[in-house]
Amino acid sequence: MALKYAYYPGCVAKGACKELHDSTTGIARALGIELVELEKASCCGSGTFKETDEFLEDTVNARNIALAEELGLTMMTQCSTCQGVIGRVNDKLKYGEQSQRNHVNQYLEGHHYQGTTEVKHLLWILVQDYGLEALKQKVQKSLAGLKCGAFYGCYLLRGQTITRYEDPYHPHSMEDVFGALGATAIEYEGRTQCCGWPLASYATNASFSMAGRHLLSAIEAGADCIVTPCPLCHLNLDSRQPEVEKVIGRKLGIPILHLPQLIGLALGLEPKQLGLERHIVSTSSVLKQLFK
Amino acid sequence: MKVSVRIRRQASRESKPEYQTYSVECSEGNTILDVLNKIQWEQDGSLAYRRNCRNAICGSCSMRVNGRAVLTCQNLVGEELEHQSELLIQPMGNLPVIKDLVVDMTKFWDNLKKIDPYVSTASRKIPEREFLQLPEQREKLQSAANCILCGACYSECNSAAVNDDFVGPHALAKAYRVMADNRDDRTQERMEQYNQPGGVWDCTRCFNCNEVCPVGVQPLDRIAQIKQEILQQEKIEDSTALRHRRTMVELVKEDGWIDESKFGLKVVTNSGRDLKGVASLIPLGTRMMLKGKMPWPWKFKPSEGKAEIKTLINVVSQHLKDQGKLWP
Repeated sequence: MALKYAYYPGCVAKGACKELHDSTTGIARALGIELVELEKASCCGSGTFKETDEFLEDTVNARNIALAEELGLTMMTQCSTCQGVIGRVNDKLKYGEQSQRNHVNQYLEGHHYQGTTEVKHLLWILVQDYGLEALKQKVQKSLAGLKCGAFYGCYLLRGQTITRYEDPYHPHSMEDVFGALGATAIEYEGRTQCCGWPLASYATNASFSMAGRHLLSAIEAGADCIVTPCPLCHLNLDSRQPEVEKVIGRKLGIPILHLPQLIGLALGLEPKQLGLERHIVSTSSVLKQLFK
Repeated sequence: MKVSVRIRRQASRESKPEYQTYSVECSEGNTILDVLNKIQWEQDGSLAYRRNCRNAICGSCSMRVNGRAVLTCQNLVGEELEHQSELLIQPMGNLPVIKDLVVDMTKFWDNLKKIDPYVSTASRKIPEREFLQLPEQREKLQSAANCILCGACYSECNSAAVNDDFVGPHALAKAYRVMADNRDDRTQERMEQYNQPGGVWDCTRCFNCNEVCPVGVQPLDRIAQIKQEILQQEKIEDSTALRHRRTMVELVKEDGWIDESKFGLKVVTNSGRDLKGVASLIPLGTRMMLKGKMPWPWKFKPSEGKAEIKTLINVVSQHLKDQGKLWP
């Protein structure tokens, strides 16, 4: 049966990381996965709504989930943070007391949260629903020789506690995908840690030091590039890499790919179609290695 | 069963660490602490580590096991070996090693003192009758009051790893504990203090503290509660961190999705008033422009459901105001 999802794009993939949206829809087409975009959805709050009030986070995201429920589809995210935030609200309401659902529903005009769907990251969909074997079959251009370091993002690993996909300290879904594409997975210390993005607008030194530590550990472990399932991690690791270099006093220059960009390369999509030229740190070393 | 145990050894503060592997006869139901005791008592008396109550009460035996801090008297060998073939035991992170698995916790305790971890002096004056607290007043601080100061959260804290001024999740959980105590009369001063650099806004929300806390304090959730209280204050000192939260709500209410260009201008440059903020955005903006990454306002598309979202946020804010909360 063809796979079909309610696609939650999030803010960043429609703005500063448009290449994430383009590569996500590009690989979905190539893999025969149908995506129905949630045009009426809203920002999940990226974890900050809870700091204003938890009820705000709950209602806004119950509405987002209700939009997917109305289509009778599982919601698909492609951002670790959106996944952790919306997934956590879904866990709380779906598996919590009926009174919580009733309370939230009192505020959702024209929608009704039922607790009948799931919220799944693209990464989990590929591993769990599509299957690594099926993905392998679709590979047109093996990524053999390319050494990839995964950078998971905190919310993907630790945001949800009820429905949890994998061990937050020993995850392997990204590395399993790398393997299916023919690439070599590089394990390094920072792959499960924080990129520093939440602090980037005001505690810049801390934020960029955090990013620097992890980038350096990936480089020292021999990674040719870092691959992330989170556009917010991408912003701090790629767009802010020049600032990161200044803070840690070291040249880095490591390309940061969005997960669907890496998959797209293996599926034979054009680098331009995947937006690989839209990065701050040039991705040409990755392309040279693959197409030499 | 025979279990392979790899331990990070370090003879003194200045020595170079090295790993030593032991083979230990134990059962799945043994705790990690049992395993360490067996090594020390039967194989190598020179191994240094802390232990005391063996009942997850004293908080002495925290160490890193297979990559994250745990109370070694609480975690079982069988559970640890579900996904790993050996036990990897290291000292806690973010604190200097004194010897082997024993860390110097001076900074941890100093940071705790910084938040003034006591119910305020005025309320400690001996009353005529005992201090009374309703069950619901006690309930508010219960989870934070569970803290046994084991250091597990501090060990895994991403912010503490890079920011010497950050007081850490243990201190902020305690800060919430005293702030939420109805007998404390320094709430306002505390909020102002925790609002400063080194306080709640320096937390990067990595969830590690919640993840490793062995007694359900959930420091990240306590930090969020302090932030909620601060955001409700009208007179508290404004900052980029506060504007960040307020602007998020404002922009989502307006458009459904975040218009990143507006967000940057409002938060980082304080709508053009913060010249340092303006200067910081110029290099980022230039390089994003050159790579076609700039989220230009004219390219931004609001959500098709923006009217509904506006109504929703309005009714939610009214509900919170009805509960006596101030909407930021």
